[in-house]
Amino acid sequence: MPDLENEIRNMIAEIVEKDPSEVTPDAKFFEELGMDSMMALEIMAGMEKKYKITIPEEKLTKLTTLRETVAVAKEYLEKTNA
Amino acid sequence: MLNIEEIQKILPQKFPFLMLDRVLELEPGKKITALKNVSINEGFFAGHFPDMPVMPGALIIEAMAQAAIIMFYSPEKNPADKKTAYYLGAVKVRFLHPVSVGDQLKITVEPIKVISGAGLVKAKAEVGDKEVASGELSFSVQHG
Repeated sequence: MPDLENEIRNMIAEIVEKDPSEVTPDAKFFEELGMDSMMALEIMAGMEKKYKITIPEEKLTKLTTLRETVAVAKEYLEKTNA
Repeated sequence: MLNIEEIQKILPQKFPFLMLDRVLELEPGKKITALKNVSINEGFFAGHFPDMPVMPGALIIEAMAQAAIIMFYSPEKNPADKKTAYYLGAVKVRFLHPVSVGDQLKITVEPIKVISGAGLVKAKAEVGDKEVASGELSFSVQHG
């Protein structure tokens, strides 16, 4: 899934209203990108819709960087396709 | 179905900020359909606009938000002796047609993703069979 990271990056950039280039793999959502918990929920819901997966609530706190977020999406994509 | 007395018991908003008149259908936590009758006596029409009454879009959003509060209401989670505060987080709504005097707004709200203390819902407003506004609202909830 080569586009996964890019797709999620664009989704995050739109929600935090930043240029996608600022959403680097390790840029911290809350400290560096000005994200709040409502935006994190939007990202979670956005990934669920786009990839037809269900991510449990406790994973919300894992969504702190693009790298972590892609890892969560991958984990549930694999579970769904397994 | 809920009448205005029952709506008033649930909503923290009071006159003149009640944006729903009746709840037609309610599946708690899953779906709500509610009505708002738009009359020339609405205070906001005095200024919005003197020669052309148009219901402010912000108040259509408010009607959607109030419908969402009722959808998520439960007597166990929201006991009458404890105050619950609702904070609208983000709103992404598109307005498709103006709403004016004599229109009956039908508001439908369904959850997209709900977690403890916060939620994201899908909402639409229709007049007759015409969609006049639709979008998404996120909010957080604090139990007092």
